[in-house]
Formats: sequence, C-alpha cells, structure tokens
Amino acid sequence: MANKFLEKFDTFTLVVAVLIVSVGLVAIYSATFSSEIDSDLFYKQLYFSFVGLAIMIGVSYLPPRYLSNISYMIYIFSLILLVLVLVFGKSISGSKSWFSIGGFGLQPSEFAKIATVLALSKFLTSEEKERNINKPLDFLKACAIVLIPVALIMKQPDLGTSIVFLSMLLPVFFWAGLSPFVLFTIISPIVISLIALFLGDYYFYAALLLVLIVLILFKRKVYLLIIVFLINVAAGISVEKLFSTLQPYQQKRIMTVFDPTSDPLGSGYNVIQSKVAIGSGGLFGKGYLQGTQTQLKFIPEQWTDFIFCMIGEEFGFIGAALLVMLYIILIIQFINNAYISKNRFLGLSCIGIASIMMFHLVINVGMTVGIMPVIGIPLPLVSYGVSSLLSFMIMIGIGMNTYRNRKIFT
Amino acid sequence: MDLAIKKYIIFSICFAILAILIGRLIQLQLLNVEEFGKKSQKNSVKIITDIPARGLMYDRNGKVVVDNKPAYSLMITHSQFNFDNLNEVANLIEVTPEYINEILSKVKGTNRFSPVKIKRDVEFRVISYIEENKERLRGVDYQVEALRFYPNTFKASHTFGYTKEISEKQLDKQVGNYYTQGDVMGSSGLERFYENYLRGEKGRKLVSVDVKGKEVGSYNDGKDDIKPVNGFDLLLSLDSELQEYAENRLGSRRGAIIALDPRTGEILCMVSKPDFDLSLFSGPTDSKVFADLLLHKDKPLFNRVVQSRQPPGSTWKMLMGFAGLGSGVITTTSTISCGGSFRYGNRTFEDHGAYGSINVTRAIEVSANVFFYKLGLKVGLDNYNKYGKMFGFGLKTGVDIPGEISGLLPSEEYFNKVYGPKGWTQGFLVSLGIGQGELGVTPVQMVAYTAAISMEGLYIQPHIVRRIVNPITGQEEILEFEQRRIELPNEYFKAIKKGMYLVVNGNGTAKNIRSSEFVLAGKTGTAQVTKGNNHSWFVGFAPYDNPQIAVCVLGENAGWGSQFAAPLAAAIMIRYLSGNTEDVYEEGSTVIVRD
Repeated sequence: MANKFLEKFDTFTLVVAVLIVSVGLVAIYSATFSSEIDSDLFYKQLYFSFVGLAIMIGVSYLPPRYLSNISYMIYIFSLILLVLVLVFGKSISGSKSWFSIGGFGLQPSEFAKIATVLALSKFLTSEEKERNINKPLDFLKACAIVLIPVALIMKQPDLGTSIVFLSMLLPVFFWAGLSPFVLFTIISPIVISLIALFLGDYYFYAALLLVLIVLILFKRKVYLLIIVFLINVAAGISVEKLFSTLQPYQQKRIMTVFDPTSDPLGSGYNVIQSKVAIGSGGLFGKGYLQGTQTQLKFIPEQWTDFIFCMIGEEFGFIGAALLVMLYIILIIQFINNAYISKNRFLGLSCIGIASIMMFHLVINVGMTVGIMPVIGIPLPLVSYGVSSLLSFMIMIGIGMNTYRNRKIFT
Repeated sequence: MDLAIKKYIIFSICFAILAILIGRLIQLQLLNVEEFGKKSQKNSVKIITDIPARGLMYDRNGKVVVDNKPAYSLMITHSQFNFDNLNEVANLIEVTPEYINEILSKVKGTNRFSPVKIKRDVEFRVISYIEENKERLRGVDYQVEALRFYPNTFKASHTFGYTKEISEKQLDKQVGNYYTQGDVMGSSGLERFYENYLRGEKGRKLVSVDVKGKEVGSYNDGKDDIKPVNGFDLLLSLDSELQEYAENRLGSRRGAIIALDPRTGEILCMVSKPDFDLSLFSGPTDSKVFADLLLHKDKPLFNRVVQSRQPPGSTWKMLMGFAGLGSGVITTTSTISCGGSFRYGNRTFEDHGAYGSINVTRAIEVSANVFFYKLGLKVGLDNYNKYGKMFGFGLKTGVDIPGEISGLLPSEEYFNKVYGPKGWTQGFLVSLGIGQGELGVTPVQMVAYTAAISMEGLYIQPHIVRRIVNPITGQEEILEFEQRRIELPNEYFKAIKKGMYLVVNGNGTAKNIRSSEFVLAGKTGTAQVTKGNNHSWFVGFAPYDNPQIAVCVLGENAGWGSQFAAPLAAAIMIRYLSGNTEDVYEEGSTVIVRD
C-alpha cells in the first residue's frame, strides 16, 4: 500500500518545491521584519503557502482527461479576465494588471500563464485532428494561442510578464517535433540582431559565417538556405540601421536595459545596490537578519523582484548557489516527467512549465547579479506575491500530476 | 528526433545556465568579495537634488525687485531615519509627529534613499541642534535653499505673484515628472506665468554613504552628477517709483490702476487693491493666513487689473465713435441732435445736459449720452461687436499675467441664451451705446484700447517682461509680443483723439485736471453697478502730441469719473512725465462734472 502510494506520488518534486517556498518565507521575513508597515507581508505569504500546498496536491490528483477537457475553457476564461483587468483593473506603478478583491490583489496574467501552457499543449496533442507543428497553418495557430495573451498583457503594459509567455514557445515546439531547421530559422536572426547591436561588426560577420556553415550542414535545398541566410543578413543590418535612426536619448534608454550601470539613478540604482549586497555576502553570508545592505533597505521592495540579493547577502555563496541548484533540479525533474509520461498533453505542459520557470530564474537571478536586463518578474515560489505564488504552485501540481499518471496514455 | 535526444539537449542547456549563474555568483561572492565588502560598508548611493536658484526680477532701471535670500529647510531621508527620534524632531521644528509621518509615508521607491523636505525656513537654532546631534539623529539633515525676498517700498503683489510648495494635486496633474514633493513653484502673477523660465533646471548629486548613512564622498568621482541650471532672470518694464506712487495714491480704496507705454506696450505700473503682503508667502505659508486672504470680502488675492469684469461707462464712447465712423452711419462732421433726454419705446433715457446738434468730437468732449444712445441704435449689434473686437474687447489681451479674463462683448446669441429665445431686441443697444448693460471689460483691455487710440491704430499686446536673461549664455533674450494695426482711416483717430483732448483741455468732463505743463487727454466714465455707488473710470494718455504713457484707473464704488479716477490718472501721468518728481494729487476733487 505504502509502496504503491510512493510509486504514484511525486515526493521528490514536492520536497524540492516545499524547500524553495521555505527559503522564500525565510527571506521575506528577513526583508520585512524590521518594518512596521511591511511585516504582515510575511504572514500573508505564509498563509497562502499553505493554501497553495493544498491546491498543489489537489491539482496533482486531477484526472488527466479532465484537465485536458477544461484546458480551452480555462484559456478563454483567463483571456476574458485579461480584458476585464484592462477595463476595471487597478493601476499600480503605471500598469493596469491587478484586480483588487476584498483587500487582496489578484493578477490575472499570472494565472494566464498556466492557462496558456495547457491550451497550447492541448492544441498540439489534439486527439480529434492530426496536428503537425511543421505545417504552416498549425504552426501559426499555435503561435496565436500564445500571442493573444501576450498582446493583452502588453496593453497593461507589463513587458516582463508578456516576454515570459514567449519563452514557452520554442521549447514546446521543439518537444512537439518542430524540425531543427525551422527552429534554427527562427532563432538565428534573433541572435544575429543582438550580436550586431551589442557586439559590433566583426562579431556580426563571424556570426554570419557560423550561420552559413550550420545552414550547409542542414543539407536542405539551396534556395531555402539562401533565403534563410539573407534573412539573417537583413536582420543584422536593419537592426543596426534602425538603431542609428533613433535619438541619442532613445539609444541610451535601450542600452540602459542591457547595461544598467549607465543609469545609476533609474533601474541601475537597484542593480548597483543588489550587486553590492550579493557580493558582500561572501562564502557564508553575513548571517540571518544580519545583512547590512538589505536590512538598511537600500533596495526598494526587496521582498519582491530583488529578493535574491537578500539570500545572497545573508546566506552567502552557499545559500545562493544551493537555491539556484534547487531550481535546476526542479526543472530537470519536470523534463524527466515529460520524458517518462505517456500522456503527450501532460508531457508538453511540463515542458512549457519548465521553460517558464527557467526563464523566470535566468532573468530574475541574472538581473540581481547584473548580467541580465532589469525586467520586473518574480523569483518563482520565493518572491512575495500571492498571485505568483499560487500560480507557480499550481504548475508544480501539474508536474506532480504528470508523474502520477505517467503510465496512462490519455 | 528521438525524445531522448531532445531531453539531453534540454538538459545540457539547463546545465549551461546553471554553470553561468553559479559562475557569476563565484565571481561576485568569492573572487570580488573584498571589493564588494568594502563597497557595502562605504558605497551605497544617496541621491541629493541640487536646487537651482530661482530667477530674479529687475525693474526697468535695473534695480532688483524680486530677490532670493538663503534659508534652511529641514530634510529627512526615509531609509535612514530612526522613528524613535520622531517626537524629538517634531518638537524641534514645532510640528506634530503625525505631520512628519504623513510626509514620509508618501515617499515611494528609490526616493526613500533621498532626503525629502519636511519644513521650509526653519530657525538657525534647529540647524545647530541637528549639527550637535548628528550621530544620533540619523537621516535628519538640512538643505540651504533660496527664499523669495522683496527689497521694495511697494508691494506689486498681484504682479510679482507668490510661490508655494507644490500641492499633491498639482504633483499628480503635472505634465512630465520635473516636480517632486517639497518643490516650490510659482502660484500666481509673474512667478506663475514665467514658472518654466524662473525655476531653472534641477541638478542632482550622487553621494556615497556608509552603513550608518554618513556621507563619505561623491559617487563615481561626481561623473554622474548633474549641475543645476539657475532660472532665467526677468527684466521688467515696471517703473518702481511710479508703482510705489500709484499704490500710495490709490491708498486703501478698492480699485485698479494700470499704466503702459503706448509706443511699446510695456506696462509701467499695475496696482490692484486691496492687495497683500508677498512676504507672507515666502516662507512656509500659514494655512490660516492664506485662508483669511482667500475668504476676505474684498478679495485681496483677486487681480482686478486682469480679472475684474465691469461695464466701462462713458469711457466706451470712443469705441462707439469708431463704430459709427467705420460703419458709415456718421462722418467726422455729421451731427446728431442731442436734447436732454431720449425716448425709446415707452422708456425715457436721461442725459445730464442738452447740447443741440453736435458732431462726434464734441459728443466725446461733453460725454453726450443722447448722441451715443442714438448712435448705438444706428450702428447695430453686429458692428458693435465688430469694432469692439477690433479694439480687443471680448478677447484676452494676452498680457503676461495669469488668470486674465476676456470680459464680455455680448452677441445676439448671448441675449437669446440669457433672456430666452428672441430675448434680443434693439432696445439693448441704447444702454450698450454708453458702455452700460451687459458689456464687461477689464482695466487691462481699457488701457490697451486707450494706447491704441493714442497711437492712432497701433495695438500692442500689453506686457510687463521686456527681456529674459539666459543663465547659461548670460545673453538677454527679447520676448516677442503681438503688434497689429487697426485698419481705420487716420482722420477717424484724429477726430476721436481731438474729443479726448477737449475732455481735459476744452469744456469737457475732466477740465478739472488740466495741466499747464503737460497736455493730457482722456475720457471719464461713471459706470452704474448693481451694488453700491458708481464705479469711477478714467482712461487717458499724455502728452497729447507724442504719447508716452497711457493709463486706466478704476475706482470701485468711488463715484463720478471726474471726481475720483480722473485726478488720480492725471497725477500718475504727470508723475511719470516729470521723471517721478511732481505730485499734483489731491484726493477728492471739488469739481465734479457729470458724464
């Protein structure tokens, strides 16, 4: 009996997730305990961690068929919420992304992430129709499923969250069987334009050469190769041209996104302070509740997007590196679940969720250590925020569900 | 592609990311820890706003009339402030702890690391106390700031205007994000009109602070600092001595005086009474003082020169002359017979005398009401409006003082709106003809109109700022003001001006102000108002052949034009023309001629 339970229950994922949530609670307590106004945030997060845990386990027991059947409905519902929030939403720091319900803020875009993953997976694994991601029409439809919520969230405007949605596209397509050649056609111009913009002409030429070599290795029809190559050349040149037509202050604004230190008062302020906080933590950290940078509140609202610097300062390299590893373990477990699952719908969902978590991790941690642009998205399961916490816990639940039902085909 | 291969591709991407993130952490936390460790002790950044000096104002002789003086403001940096000291600080600056709490609670985001202003113009003992207890009172600081200072023997309160700390509402509504809490901005008068010039551009300093909030030097060698740019200075056309004279002569009466140079449109003096003391506003403004001024029955904050809408009475008659001549219903020589009264419908309109058949020049001299009753009817409302607009009525003059109203030049639609459909009848023209009825004008419109007559058709937008001084280049920049020509034959202006000459120098309604030294010209007006005694008006210019000053005087409920406004206007013109030496004013003329 016990064995059978263990065989079905994804204890590993549960333990890792609970560990991460606990780290978050510990950090939020440290970030807020000295302030009268903010100290109740910890208790709120604690309460919702338990609520989330219950929901998470609940979700892991849902019948897969049921989950698959309601996917589109949830998706439509969350689109409606995204439209409503534009009309009735509460504006916080310039973006309309919140509903205020009885003292609690609800952020529909957080839940729309789950809905979009499920709808996309459902679309690509439809049982009634044979879908092929390599067929242009199916490809475009799949893209549309993701782009509709992206457009609505851009309208709020919340650039960070909308980019999160895009992050699931390629991994899911890849898993669903998109041909490497198409994948390459999509990715290479993006990489090429970034290189042309930030690294200069020589790197641009070198990258083009590399593209050419890879293209030849694909051994496709010559005209196709030429077209893809020309797309790459055009992307690189046009992005440079476009940039040079901008006013100097606009150029500066774009460069600031990638090099925050060039604007020490705007977004750069937080990055300078957070690098100092993390760097001063050293190997073992300054000790819990002892961080001078974070305790002096040099970083505004450090319990939300910049919470990682709290951990880096007070728990040092050991703490920070362990947390990053916990995330990678969790993500790898998701990919494993996707791999072993016979249910293609759940498998694809796992890939989508893993990419969302990975994207959050890279951007959030990368931003606090100064290697990524400052884009305001939370650290999964750790940053303060009820909507984000619950949404990620539901995602974990879906991962556990996949493990539980890995031997069932539909 | 096999799923297993895909899995391993994704795994390798995951491990690559792990390696990058851990690598970066090693770089920051293990390799550079010394550097960052020191930084965290020393190098946190505090942002201090560098406030520019507000531009000054100079009168036409280059004398400073609006100056700055240094004062101390108490500042608190939210992130460093120890709230245990709240009561102590509140007592020190004589405010309630709640007051400080409320200000601090509005501070959001990175502003928590910058000092915010708690109180302006604190006493010096407060500063020395803070200096003595600096270690303990962390986050409490002061800032030297410029306060307005008026080194004058006159007030010119409405002209200069006052500055006030920006309100929350203004902060929310501002275009752009220049202003922050505690900033001072122009609230009225020139301070407000030229706010964007006067305020300058704020600078900022980045200061490194240690963990105790103590400043340990500039950040990044000051490379990211921005120097403040001081405000533009305003060079005014105001004649301080004339302003003082006009204020004193108007005394405690309610009314308005404005004088300008008709050749340039430059305002020489501008008085609105009752007025108030600008220095009340230069420090932290007591809300009770402000409320008292705001609610006072005589409205001292109200600038009568540009905001008071009154019927012009007989000073309107020149305009009627132009309307009659321009629309062709009279010529400069044609006459209208003026008995002692005029009957229209079943109403009789009285006059103060019978003058027989007279032309327009004579009609202005003696202010013959019957002439203008009849002329009003002949001219009709359309022409009435056309010529009114030509001389700037019903429109803002564009004077560089905020709050100007356009007055009212009533149209047919206006009457139909107010008195119901078909409310308009020709009968209204009778009283409109003598500047009564619905017609409403402002003193600044009247002086611009008088100046245009004196200059025989040159209408110039009245203004008080002549030039502004660019603080960066030190160059003077000339401001452009509108000039236009009123296209009417010169003989019309000659005939009307002649009438104004005779008002003073002939057998007219202001012969009591004739001067042997300067040839004055003008027109009296006595406007009936719904409440109290009549308003006393005078508009005039001098010298007659070579106008150098045009003036408009309005005395609220001060009686006949010849009784109050005319002697005052004459005294101002003579004062100015004599180089601010002569004083011919005697209050309450004994000679009263009815107009």
